Amino acid sequence: MIAWLTSKRGAPYLFMAPVFVFAVFLFVGPLLFAATISFTDWEGVTAPRWVGLHNYTYLLIHDGFFLTSVWNTLVFAAGSVIVGVPLALIAAALISQSRYQSVWRTIYWLPMITNIVAVAYIWRYILNDTSGLLNRTLDVFGLGGPDWLTSTSTAMLSVIMVASWMSIGQNVLVFLSGLAEIDESYYEAARLDGANPLQLFWHVTIPLLRPTIVFVLITSLINALSAFVLMLILTEGGPARSTTVTGLYLYDMAFTDLRLGRASAAAYILFALIFVISLVQLRLLRRGSVEGA
Amino acid sequence: MKTVGVRIPAGLRVVAALAGIAFGAASASPQPITTIRVATHYNAEQFAPMRACFREYEAQHPGIRIVHSQISYQDYLQTVLIARAGKSPVDIYSLYSIWAPQLIGTGALDVPPADIARFVRAGYAPATIDAATMKGHLWGIPTEVSVYQLVYNKVLFAAAGIHAPPRTLDDLARTAAAITRKNRQGNILVGGFAFDLSGANVTHTFYSEMYAAGVAPYTADMRHTNLRKPAAAMILGKQVDLFRRGVTSNSVLAGDFAGGGIGMAVMANWMKDTLRTSLGSRFEATVGVAPIPSDGRGGTMIYSFFWGVDAASRVKRPAWDLLRWLNSPRGKDGGLSCTGAMLDGMGDLTGNRSDLAAMRASIADPFSQQYVAALRAPGAVSQPNIWHASEADRVLKYYIELAWSGRMSPAAALAAADTDITAILSEQP
Repeated sequence: MIAWLTSKRGAPYLFMAPVFVFAVFLFVGPLLFAATISFTDWEGVTAPRWVGLHNYTYLLIHDGFFLTSVWNTLVFAAGSVIVGVPLALIAAALISQSRYQSVWRTIYWLPMITNIVAVAYIWRYILNDTSGLLNRTLDVFGLGGPDWLTSTSTAMLSVIMVASWMSIGQNVLVFLSGLAEIDESYYEAARLDGANPLQLFWHVTIPLLRPTIVFVLITSLINALSAFVLMLILTEGGPARSTTVTGLYLYDMAFTDLRLGRASAAAYILFALIFVISLVQLRLLRRGSVEGA
Repeated sequence: MKTVGVRIPAGLRVVAALAGIAFGAASASPQPITTIRVATHYNAEQFAPMRACFREYEAQHPGIRIVHSQISYQDYLQTVLIARAGKSPVDIYSLYSIWAPQLIGTGALDVPPADIARFVRAGYAPATIDAATMKGHLWGIPTEVSVYQLVYNKVLFAAAGIHAPPRTLDDLARTAAAITRKNRQGNILVGGFAFDLSGANVTHTFYSEMYAAGVAPYTADMRHTNLRKPAAAMILGKQVDLFRRGVTSNSVLAGDFAGGGIGMAVMANWMKDTLRTSLGSRFEATVGVAPIPSDGRGGTMIYSFFWGVDAASRVKRPAWDLLRWLNSPRGKDGGLSCTGAMLDGMGDLTGNRSDLAAMRASIADPFSQQYVAALRAPGAVSQPNIWHASEADRVLKYYIELAWSGRMSPAAALAAADTDITAILSEQP
């Protein structure tokens, strides 16, 4: 055995063993465990009782809120991608033209390295309806001030705004590295043809940056579909659960109500949703991008 | 839990003695140490009087060691259940009564010995005994009891020309409208009435109003709700009116009371300490307490905590003895018990009659007197210990908030809540 492990054929497996063990115990194992208990009514204390597909049918048919939480998840994910990704792209394009790139990169990166609890609390103060900075500023211009975080009409929008602000730094960095890869000769040729800055951006930058855009879109969407900590701290999922996404709902199910079986089923449904959406997105976007790059 | 026998081998003692190591009393008389572990949600400052009592008990009972651990209130039930699953339960718990059904369902609680049951039945208010009684058994010794009343700001009332607290729900709406002030953006600066989205305030206010209307939120067998009753829809409808009139909103919080941000809110008696600390010398001139406004016979909701002992504890009898000592009057002339001293320090009330008598001086103020009167009134009813109560409360809160936001009618919201909660209640063994 030792001889085989130290041979040319065995050595790679020996070196891979730590990663393999890590993956089995911390990734594959919990996944299989969660899959198993999703077919039980286990609450973490007594022995699990096999209930077949009951947890899945309960969530999809009988639960008064689960499908709404899925809808909230989709709205949040779509909103944060639609708002956050273009903002990051524009910011990256502007930074790439500026003289102090490292300063701008640092500024945009700051939200990413700030603790999410601190971020949420700061935004709670900014978005307060009577004393918040945003409404006080709107008041100076004679504008009305919505009840940003505690109205069912605006709470999700507020969460999307904050999430987009938080993620902008990471996406800016990715876009900047993509922009740096674009050869200057493309821009020179376009300029010789009379292209203005907007045309350069639209007809040169965007097509050549497509692989990066696809990567950012997919990773942002996956992150947004599984996000819940920001809502937990910023709005506690309210009001009227209007900001309760599936991740937050299943967190409460598992750790507040100790319905570990049902929460595991919810997690698998969420996993299936993310998987299908990512697959569709990849198929739709990769033509001429990842494959064509 | 565990009895730890600290027995030092004779050979080792000889070696230690030769080495000049002082073993102290333990080596001289190797008495077994019985450790009793106590878990509460009280923080170190609140629990200080109890710690002093623990040290006194240890001094009186050599061989007993008492260890206290604090568990977050939010995670208390989950922590207890998981600790039991991990075979490391504590011996004594301080339990919110609504946690009991799940603990009893998993066989986690010990039934008190007959002498402890007699001690409780002889010395505690019936409502608090009811709260600690499930499935025909008493499960522990009642401790903290909280009751809800309407708390109002006398200064804001006077400024609005109002001289008495509201008695009916329509009065409440009119009074709230007179107090409310908004900024030029239309947002509420001073709310006439505050619900509080945090914690259980939304549902507890609703339950209190239901009890005041003479309708219990749950049926006696605790397997169904009364949320489809017309009285429930009427109460929620009146709450919705407060939102429609613009005298409250989700951003108007009960916590703004001391800052003059709200005129009224339904609060529990334990808010006294917070309000007194915030308002200082202005406390009595600012804070008024009145019964829950109602169109019915009047009443309110009580919720309670009790001391319980883990069924798997290996020191059940010493644990019950300790609890009896902690809840008995101290001194010959019947002073506060240890538990009573802790509750008194927090401005809390208790179901322990002798403690309540000993607290006479500290509850002589108008604020406490109103709460004590409400506690003794026949309309004060203990929160029912339903199955998965916190989950049911969260479901009800969701539908109440949907009605407040106008997304569902009160009747439809309560019917949907009834469906979801009944499904939860149907799971109980």
